[in-house]
Amino acid sequence: MVLKLNEELCIGCRLCQLACSAAKEGVFNPELARLKIVSVYDESGLNINSSVCTLCLACVSACPAGAIAYENERLSFRESACTDCGLCLGACPEGIIKARPHGVALCDLCGGTPECVEWCPHNALTNGEVG
Amino acid sequence: MSYAGKVLRVNLTTGDNRVEKLNEKWAHDYFGGKGLGIKYLYEELAPGVDPLSPDNKMILMTGPFTGTTVPVSGKLGIITKSPATGTVLDCSIGGHFAGELKFAGYDAVILEGKATNPSYLYIEDGLVEMRSAADLWGRGAQDTEVALRAKLSPEIKVLAIGPAGENLVTMSCITSELYRQAARGGVGAVMGSKNLKAVAVRGSGSISVPDISNFVATVKEIMRTDTLTDTNLWAFTDGTPMLMDLSQNTGILPTRNFQEGTFTAFENLNSDSLKKVRAGKKGCLSCALGCGNYSKTGRAAVEGPEYETLAIGGSNCGIEDLEGIIKFNDLCDNLGIDTISAGNVTAFAMELTEKGVKDFGLRFGDTAGYLQVPELIARRAGIGADLALGVKKLAQQYGGGEFAMHVKGLEFPGYEPRGSWGMGLAYATSDRGACHLRAWPVAEEAYGERDPFTIDGKAQLVMDMQHYNAVKFSLILCDFWALSLETMAQMLSAALGRSINEEDLRQAGERVVNLARQFNVREGFGKGEDILPERIFKETLKTGATAGKLLPREEFDNMLKEYYALRGWDENGRPSAQTLSKLGIV
Repeated sequence: MVLKLNEELCIGCRLCQLACSAAKEGVFNPELARLKIVSVYDESGLNINSSVCTLCLACVSACPAGAIAYENERLSFRESACTDCGLCLGACPEGIIKARPHGVALCDLCGGTPECVEWCPHNALTNGEVG
Repeated sequence: MSYAGKVLRVNLTTGDNRVEKLNEKWAHDYFGGKGLGIKYLYEELAPGVDPLSPDNKMILMTGPFTGTTVPVSGKLGIITKSPATGTVLDCSIGGHFAGELKFAGYDAVILEGKATNPSYLYIEDGLVEMRSAADLWGRGAQDTEVALRAKLSPEIKVLAIGPAGENLVTMSCITSELYRQAARGGVGAVMGSKNLKAVAVRGSGSISVPDISNFVATVKEIMRTDTLTDTNLWAFTDGTPMLMDLSQNTGILPTRNFQEGTFTAFENLNSDSLKKVRAGKKGCLSCALGCGNYSKTGRAAVEGPEYETLAIGGSNCGIEDLEGIIKFNDLCDNLGIDTISAGNVTAFAMELTEKGVKDFGLRFGDTAGYLQVPELIARRAGIGADLALGVKKLAQQYGGGEFAMHVKGLEFPGYEPRGSWGMGLAYATSDRGACHLRAWPVAEEAYGERDPFTIDGKAQLVMDMQHYNAVKFSLILCDFWALSLETMAQMLSAALGRSINEEDLRQAGERVVNLARQFNVREGFGKGEDILPERIFKETLKTGATAGKLLPREEFDNMLKEYYALRGWDENGRPSAQTLSKLGIV
């Protein structure tokens, strides 16, 4: 299971980010979301810019403390093991691991039922199983 | 509560700003958006202020749902006194600006005074700065936004005006995300009069609600069962161009300056034709519907054209060629002009020319001439010096008042009132002149099951619709979600942590309508201005489902009288002391 975005279906409403921050941080704030999908007009027309966890596991490899692991087909994070070294932040090619006062915030697929997918109004974002 | 709790007040004259506490009493009674904006303006603006003077204010207003997952809540309210009409003016603009402003920590921005030099306002959370717009002045609204994004950050959200706003054209609009507009009543000119080229905002803060798990669960269920339904998904599949066929079939499609109600080439302009040039879909922040149709042709690209542009800038100008309308739309967007008013004034000038009243060199159906108009209006050059006056003042100058299609100086939208009599009352009594967004009885008349050619029950219908829309726009929910007051109340209760019911909302809508009316009464408006052009009363339509129809003046007068009585307004259309008191407006 991995998040998949079908750009053809995305309208750039950012409900995914609002839902993610609500579920994970208890507030509405796209900056705190563990994914980022925006639609913008630029010189070439209407484009989707997206950053979602692809489960590339670069963060797992980068973590020297064993705080980030891949288990049950998703990422997990153990705050007690984290040394706040910040290596995972730089290692994430999508740039969506967020630093917190202690530890980091990463996409754990909400334990199997991602809120972002739940909220996507046009099934642009799927968990890879139905898409 | 889901408010940021703060209002940013910026004095453009001095460059000073201060952060104030949101007025909780007013927020309690008026919620946000239209209602709360009008409340602030009513309290702060002296009667008789010149709308284009530094004494006028412009208020950017979010609402209690802005920045949350409430679907279709992404728009921003912009409230000021209109230079086109002299009435109160509230517009709304889509995109992602409103959410960004609230993430920056503000429910509203109140803009006062006038900058000494062309400037833009930069807001990044607590950082608020007036910055020089010397290099942007004279540039298009879209060009300005592109330049600011390149200079500041791709993440920045921008409101901008084009040359029309700078030149104080009273049909100039404000643009965001290239293709979204606060279009009507000359909001762009108010910005221009303040030497304010743009507002750029970036926010990184959070918005809270009392019980977020409950809130999210409630709203998610509502989105699935009430937003993403066949009732609303036309906005996604087709968008407003779907109205073209409906208007044609019911004979209410404005054609050649409202001389006819059908257009032979309507199929060139309908949703099927638009789909052939569609290049993408885009929604505002939190919008599950995504009405934005990105359309591209060889020479031009727009989001739209919306039905209003297709009708008023299309059939109403006799333009049969979709690509021409897209080009017109594209020109208006960058120049910063409202396509409804621009289309109307072009059509009016075409009729004046063809009738020999005044030769503007414009003819119905002449796409080449029509495409010259936006630039001329924006620059006030050539015939544009006259056309920039708008339909009302153009008629005062050259005649043709009986077919000058406006109310209070705001030009007609794309629905012929002779084929929906309630729509005539809606135009006449709307708080900002001829507007389809204050009440839209067409949905039940021409497009629906009710007899469009009777006044029976129409005063009540218009009043109820005005209340509904007034509260909906105070909560800043988009017009395109046909939700019940009960559903609104359910979401608002969850957002504010207090119990609000359907009747509370209905009454809030009535309160907003009456406060807007009171604003206009204070400016000297009354029954004399609640009137339609003579054409509607005297000329019969000739084709289609409305052939032989007009709206008899006596019927209109009776409908208006009944409406005033239902509202508790006197015979001159002024809210009675008792009505104001009942609604808590003093």
